[in-house]
Amino acid sequence: MNAAAEAAGLAPGEPLADARAKAGFLQVRAVDTVADDAALNRLALWATRYTPTASPLCRDFWGEENGADGFFLDIEGAAHLFGGEDKLIADLAFRLEKSFGLPARLAVAATPGAAWALSRFHPARSPILPSGEEAEALAPLPIEALRLSSETCTTLRRLGFKSIGALLDKPRAPFAARFSAELLRRLDQALGRVEEPLVPVAPPPVYHSLRYLIEPIFTQEAVVALASRLMQTLAHVLTRDDVGARALRLSLYRVDGEVKTVDTGLTQPTRSVPHVARLLALRLDALAATEDAGFGFEALGLAVTHAEPMPARQTELASLAADAGETDRTERGAALIDALRQRLGPQSARRFAAMASHLPERAEILPPLNGEDSAWPTPEQKPRPLLLLPRAEPTAVTALVPDGPPRRFCWRGVTYEVTGAQGPERIGAEWWRRPEPTRDYYLVEAAGGHRFWLYREGLYGRETASARWFVHGLFA
Amino acid sequence: MRENRREPRRALALFMFCSKVWAQEQNALMAQPTALSVMRNRAAVADELRRLLPKMAGFLAAKAMPFGLSAIDRCLPQGGLACGALHEVVPEEGTTPAAFGFIAALLALMPRAHPIIFVMPAYGLREYGRPYGHGLRLLGLDPGRLILVETAHRKDTLWALEEALHSRAPAAAVGVIDKLDLRLSQRLQLAANDARLPLFLLRPAQMLEASAAATRWRVGAAPAARDRFGLFARPRWHLQLERCRNGRTGEWIVEYDHVAHRFSLAAALADPALSHSAGETLLRQVRQACRS
Repeated sequence: MNAAAEAAGLAPGEPLADARAKAGFLQVRAVDTVADDAALNRLALWATRYTPTASPLCRDFWGEENGADGFFLDIEGAAHLFGGEDKLIADLAFRLEKSFGLPARLAVAATPGAAWALSRFHPARSPILPSGEEAEALAPLPIEALRLSSETCTTLRRLGFKSIGALLDKPRAPFAARFSAELLRRLDQALGRVEEPLVPVAPPPVYHSLRYLIEPIFTQEAVVALASRLMQTLAHVLTRDDVGARALRLSLYRVDGEVKTVDTGLTQPTRSVPHVARLLALRLDALAATEDAGFGFEALGLAVTHAEPMPARQTELASLAADAGETDRTERGAALIDALRQRLGPQSARRFAAMASHLPERAEILPPLNGEDSAWPTPEQKPRPLLLLPRAEPTAVTALVPDGPPRRFCWRGVTYEVTGAQGPERIGAEWWRRPEPTRDYYLVEAAGGHRFWLYREGLYGRETASARWFVHGLFA
Repeated sequence: MRENRREPRRALALFMFCSKVWAQEQNALMAQPTALSVMRNRAAVADELRRLLPKMAGFLAAKAMPFGLSAIDRCLPQGGLACGALHEVVPEEGTTPAAFGFIAALLALMPRAHPIIFVMPAYGLREYGRPYGHGLRLLGLDPGRLILVETAHRKDTLWALEEALHSRAPAAAVGVIDKLDLRLSQRLQLAANDARLPLFLLRPAQMLEASAAATRWRVGAAPAARDRFGLFARPRWHLQLERCRNGRTGEWIVEYDHVAHRFSLAAALADPALSHSAGETLLRQVRQACRS
């Protein structure tokens, strides 16, 4: 409800015809829930400048009347950074009003349920409830403040329960018998008897470091310099806990409220500031073409979203140890892969992995590198080409007998005389996937010394009347 | 018992070979300063020094990876493929698989513990498909060691190669590059030299630009060696050392044994004892075939 609507005397839930009668200037739009949710998500993302755990209310989970118009912030341990809860809430209200033009109702309480109830039904604008006083604070509020479905509310009102206080000192058993589990659960959650999980808009980081700037920054160098300073603060904490970062998230808070997050994955856990700074620089290089700094960034957050144990190493003595060079080299290798990924994309560095399949094209995949080694079976002494064509190419073949090896074949416009052939190696189709003809593979050497891997598709008489030939690979 | 008898003979032969090489090098180093001392002209002295210095620096510095074939190793200035250098491998018309196989065979000779970075465009080797792990394995190269880096364009390929060399992490780096001018090749050569790592570039057949590479090999196909049942046993390649800085060029037919990780000159006759000039006859045959 904006101010103009309020002045015209409109109320939420009113029939449209009544509203039109009251205010002839009314503009009507259909509700776009998807866009609303997206906007709320963006706002929650913006709010991660206060605390890493921001959780927008979920429409599907809570229903239309109890959700979709707010978000929770878990400010445990974050409030002191702003000089206390009252300062934080004042700053939040000010920024919401100034940057987005949103008049907000805010409340601070020890449980999400109590905070929700107070923010909507408390007469004060932004109440702050000390821990342990939920019952007294909630008692005068109407039962709608418990985030119940409308049927439950109606039934309760019919039974004469108009405020939460009326429910508080009643025996629980009759309620449990007559109402769905929702009622008591909501009550317990509001009072802090039951823990209520919050679904954060972005996975909460393990370690987090944030800095606000007096003047917004624009340049990539400044961003990287500040990020490496943030990493320095994080490195101390990481060293203390004997862990290293495997995934990092850099959040750039733009002056106009947009938040840009840059996620960076690492091959091995690291605490090295220069390494992280370099990766971020490479990543920002790649992003520079598409991203826009706008009026600059007013805050910068660096978070470790995934940490892994990383034992401390004694650097001086380690250099004397025999395997120091090896460890160094492995680390350098991991750093190299990280750097390649930042510039060329996360899928660019791949490894060869063998698959259990007889079909040559399915016997190997190229998954992105993830730090684990690929185990290869001991090679069977069957010929396999060095280069495999992306798809087998049809070829015209002359053979002495239909079942025999080729004598001459034409591939890509060149005719090759076959001087030697080895085979056939019969590879049957994988019947559990889809029926395909059987293939007879031949290793064939042509006159110049070129070696090819040809196959005949289909068994004569049983599967096909005229078999087709394909070139599938090339030998060294 | 039999093993015991054989061991000393092999050791002796190896020693003789080593001492021969050593003596040659000593002679070369001793002879040239005396030649210098008689020269009075400063410019001539400077020229002579300039000619000698890279040779001596190269001799002292980088390790080399010998082929184990005196015929080839003799042509290379360090008695083997220099480790801190850029090597170009060029196929003949239509023999890209052979050239790639030659690189794979060289990589199989590299120290085992470290990965090998393989930088290629996302489309692979163009019309020749992409490397196949099971095939690499049959050439003696463990595909688990390979890290395949796919790039979108040439600039990224060059960057990735340089990055790989600067990190000094891999055992070797391999790149597939179409065009490369002298400046860029100098840059790569310097990076390889600093890192003391070999860099192999697979170039297209029609490559004419000058480059700073230490060696350029042109690899052609040759009929494979067969075993006594007529099966293909070992691949053979027609190798031409087209360019070799501070060394000599040459041409051979080599065959590669993936089990022993060993190159050998292809014997024209079935019995190697009878073929005095191994590979010579076969080479003549291949040349004739090329001409006809």
